[in-house]
Amino acid sequence: MKGSHLGEFQEVVLLVILSLDDNAYGVTIKQEIAEKVNRSISRGALHTALTRLEEKGFITSEQGESHPDRGGRKKRYYTVTNKGVAALHDAKSIRDQLWNQIPRLKLYPGYDK
Amino acid sequence: MTNDRPSPPPLYERLFEWFCKENAFDELQGDLEEEFQQNYRKHGIKTANKLYKREVIRMMRPSVIKKLKSNRQSNFSSMFRNYTIVAFRSIARNRLFSSINIFGLAISMAVGLLAISFLSEVYSYDKFHENRDRLYRIVTDLHRQNGAIANYATASIYTGTRLATDFTGFEAVAPITKGLRGNIAVGESSIPINGIYTNNDFFKVFSFELLSGDPSKVLLEPNEVILTETTARKIFNRIDVVGEVIRFENGTQYKITGIAKDPPNYSHLKFEAIGSLITLQEKNRSVTTDFGVIWSSYVYVLLPEGYSLDQVQQNLDRLAEEENPKLVYWTLSMGLQNIDDIFPGDGRYNQFSVVMPKEKVTSVVILALIVLFSACFNYTNLSLARSLKRAKEVGVRKVVGARKGNLFFQFILEAIMVSLVSVVISFLLFNVVKSEFLSLDLYIERTLTLDVSTQVYFYFIIFAIAIGFLAGLFPSLIMTRFKPVNILKGASSIKTGNGVGIRKVLVAIQFALSMGFATLVVMAYKQYNYALNFDLGFETENILNVDLQFNDVDLVKNQFSRIPEVTGISSSSILASTGSSQSNWVKYKDRLDSVNSYTFDVDYSYFKNMGHELVAGTGFDEGNDQGKIVVTELLVKELGINSPFEAIGETISYFQKNWTIIGVVKDFHYGTINDEISPFVFTSGRQDHYNINLKISSTNIVETMRSLDEAWRQVDQANAFQAKFYDEWFELTYQEISASMKIFSFLAGIAICISILGLLGMAVYTAESRVKELAIRKVLGATLSNLLVLLSRNFIVIFIISALVAIPAAYYLYQETIVADAIYSIELGFWEFGSGALLIIIIALLTISSQTMKAARSNPAESLRNE
Repeated sequence: MKGSHLGEFQEVVLLVILSLDDNAYGVTIKQEIAEKVNRSISRGALHTALTRLEEKGFITSEQGESHPDRGGRKKRYYTVTNKGVAALHDAKSIRDQLWNQIPRLKLYPGYDK
Repeated sequence: MTNDRPSPPPLYERLFEWFCKENAFDELQGDLEEEFQQNYRKHGIKTANKLYKREVIRMMRPSVIKKLKSNRQSNFSSMFRNYTIVAFRSIARNRLFSSINIFGLAISMAVGLLAISFLSEVYSYDKFHENRDRLYRIVTDLHRQNGAIANYATASIYTGTRLATDFTGFEAVAPITKGLRGNIAVGESSIPINGIYTNNDFFKVFSFELLSGDPSKVLLEPNEVILTETTARKIFNRIDVVGEVIRFENGTQYKITGIAKDPPNYSHLKFEAIGSLITLQEKNRSVTTDFGVIWSSYVYVLLPEGYSLDQVQQNLDRLAEEENPKLVYWTLSMGLQNIDDIFPGDGRYNQFSVVMPKEKVTSVVILALIVLFSACFNYTNLSLARSLKRAKEVGVRKVVGARKGNLFFQFILEAIMVSLVSVVISFLLFNVVKSEFLSLDLYIERTLTLDVSTQVYFYFIIFAIAIGFLAGLFPSLIMTRFKPVNILKGASSIKTGNGVGIRKVLVAIQFALSMGFATLVVMAYKQYNYALNFDLGFETENILNVDLQFNDVDLVKNQFSRIPEVTGISSSSILASTGSSQSNWVKYKDRLDSVNSYTFDVDYSYFKNMGHELVAGTGFDEGNDQGKIVVTELLVKELGINSPFEAIGETISYFQKNWTIIGVVKDFHYGTINDEISPFVFTSGRQDHYNINLKISSTNIVETMRSLDEAWRQVDQANAFQAKFYDEWFELTYQEISASMKIFSFLAGIAICISILGLLGMAVYTAESRVKELAIRKVLGATLSNLLVLLSRNFIVIFIISALVAIPAAYYLYQETIVADAIYSIELGFWEFGSGALLIIIIALLTISSQTMKAARSNPAESLRNE
C-alpha cells in the first residue's frame, strides 16, 4: 500500500479532474493544467500522477468512445472517488488551519487595521 | 478526410509502441495522437511533429516503460537450466557425433589459440612507452643512381645531432648506435657485454626505467656507462655499483653512473649496457660525424604535443637537401615511422633486432581462419544433417509456447557448450604443438615465447564462445524455422532436403582446402629435396666446413692434418653456395662492357679438395700465386674469348688490379637455386680465409668429431669448435622452403583430420538414415558393390569438384611463394599435382565405405522388422 499522502501536483490533477466534470481524459486534463494552472507538463508526467492517484484509490477510470483524431483508439475518462474528494478536503483543511494560525500582519504587510 | 490527418512520425510511434506498457499504450498513444492532430491544425505539421517527438521522449519513465522481460524473468533461470540439461543429453546421446564435433573443433581451435597468443604477443611489443603517440623513429631511404631505392630502418647519428642542434620542433632526440661490445674479466672467466651508445635524451624519449642514477644527469660525460640489472648482477653479483668502474679486456674503462631496469621482453630495443654517445663523438669516429654512415645507428625522436608531421618532414627534407651534395654514390632521404609501426614491421633493412614482418602476421591469421572455418563447417554440417532428429523437440517446444528467440538461444547455447568443451582439449593440444610452432620459423623463434597470460586466457574463452556462436548460427536458424504443424504430423512431411545444397558446398570447401594443402606439401617437399640434392658442379658430400673464428689458418690446418680421417684440407674466404657473396667487375683488354663476376679467395688445394674440374691450364701453386687467377668457362665466354685454352695467359683487370689467367674450371653454381649460374673467378692469397673445408672419410663420425674438437682446442681454448657439413648448410640455406613445407604439412594434417572427421559423421548419418532403403534394395537383389556405389556417388562428384578447384589454386600458391625466386625448380608431373588429392580421395572413400559396408552387411530383416 502506497501511502495516502496527496502530493501538490496530484492535488492539482484531482481538482482539474473535478472541474472538468465528465470530460476528464488525458488531453483535456493536460490542457486544463496548462491553461488554468499555467504549468506545461508532458503527457508522460501526467500518466505517472494518474497511475499514483489510481493506486491510492482517489480516482477511477473507464474507457470511453474513440475518435478518428486518436487513430481510432479509445479515450479513458477519469472520475474522482469519494475517497479522493475526502483527501482534497483534508488537504484544504490542513492548509486553512495553517493559514488561520498566521498573524494577519505577516501575510499582508503594510495592511494596518 | 485522411488528408486532414497526417500521421505522427512513424519512427517515434514505433519506438513508443516498443517501450510502452501494453495496457497503457492505447490510451497514451490515443492522447498523443489527438494532441498531435490539434497541434497540426493550430501550428502546422512541423511543430506538431516536434512536440510529438518531445512527448514520446518524455514518456520514457518507469510508469510507462515495460518491465524488462517481466513475464519471462521468473522462468529464465529454469529455462536456462533446462537448455543446459537438454544440451548435455543431446551431447551424451550421440557420442559419435559429439566427439567428432568436439575433436574437430578442438584441433582447429588449437590453431586458433596459437594465432591468438601469437597476435597478442606480437602486438604487445613496445607498448610500455608512455609517449607512443609522439615517439617516432627516423628512417632512411637510399636512392642509387640507377633509380633503385633501399629502405633502411637506420639513420646516421649525424642526422640526430643536427636535428637536435640546428632544428626546432623536437622535444628530445636520441641517436643510438650498437657497438658497445667486449668482454669484461670477472675472476677466471670473462663476461661478454653487448650494449648501445646513446645520449641523455634516451630516457626522455623512451620509458626505460633507471633503478639508480639521475636520468637528467646520466650519459653526459665520456666513458660513462649504465648497466642493466642483470648485467650488474653478472659482473658484480649486486646492483649498488654506481660510481664503480668496469674495464673491458681491450683496456677501455667506463664509469658506472646508473643501473637500468632490464628492457622488457617485448621491446624491439634490447641492450645489456648503455654507454654515453659522447665517448664515440670525442674520438671523431665516422659513425658519429658522417651524414652517409647510416648502417647501424638509429635516431628516435619525441615530438612535442600538438606536433605537425608535415613540419617535421619538411625539416628532414631540408636537412637531406643540405647534406646530400657531400655524398658520391647515392642520395639519402629521411622519413618518420611511429614506434607502433616498428614491430611488426615493414621489412626495412638493418633493423635493431629481428622484426616480425607484417606479412607473416597476416598469413598466420589467414591460415588460422581457414582452419577454423573448416571446423565450424563440420559442426554446421553435422547439426544440419541431424536436424530432423531434433525436429520433434522443436515442434513440441513451439506448441508449448517457445518463441523463435528461445529456440535459437537453446541451440546456440548447445553449440557454445560444445565449443567450450573443445577449447579445454584444444588448450592441451596447444601446449603440445607450441614448441613445434615456435621452431617453425626464424622470426617466430627469435621474437616470441607464446606464454599465456591471464588476458590471453580471457581471449581464449571469448574466442570459444565466438566459435560456438559461429558454428551454431546456421543450424540454429534452420531449426527454429521448422513449422510445428508439419513436424507433429510426422517426420515424413518435412522436406528432407533441408540445407542439403549448403551441406554439399561446405563439404566441397573442406575437401578443397585439404587437397590444396596436401598438394602444396607434396610440391614443397619435392622442391626442397631438389634444392638439397641440387648438383652444384662441385663436390659437397662429406665436406665439413670449419669456422676459423679468426684463428691462424695454417696453425689450424696443421692440427687437423694430423687426424687420419681427414683426407683433404683446403681453405676459403667465403663458403660457396650458402648465400654469402662478393662481386666486382672484370675488365678485359679494350672491351667497353665489363662482366660482373663473383669471387672468393681459396688456397692451392681447394680445387682438388672440392672436386672442381679444370678444363684448361692449372690450379694455384703453393706459395706462388700473386697476380694469378682461375676463372670459369662462362666468364671466358662472356669476355669474348673463343676457347678456354686461348684464355690461358690472358690478363684481366679485377678489383683495380691486373691478373693473369692460369686456369679455367667448369661452371658451378655459386649462389642458391634462386640464382642463375654466373661468371666466377678464384683468387689466392688476396684475402684472409675464414673457413676450412675438410674432406672426411670416417666410419664413426662421432669419434672423428671428437678428435677434431680436440685438435681445435690445441689452437683455441676460448671459442668452441664450430663446424657444419655442407648438407647442414644447405638445410639452413633452404630453410625458408622447409619452413613453408612444415607449415603446409601441419595445416594439411589438420585440414585432412577435420574433413575426414566431418565426412565420417556424414557417412554414418547417411547410412543410418537410409538403412531401410538399403535393406529393401538388398532384398530386391542389390549387391554390396551396388550399395557402395549408391552411397559414395554423391561424394565422388563433390571430391572431383574440390580437386578441380584445389589443384590449380595450390599450383598458383606454389608458384607465388615457394618457387617465386627460384631459377631452378622441379618439373611438375602428374604425381606432383595429383597425389595429394588422390590420397585424400582414397582416405575419404575408405571412410565412407567402412560405414556403408556396415549398413549393407547387416541382415535386412533386422532393419525392416520394426516399423
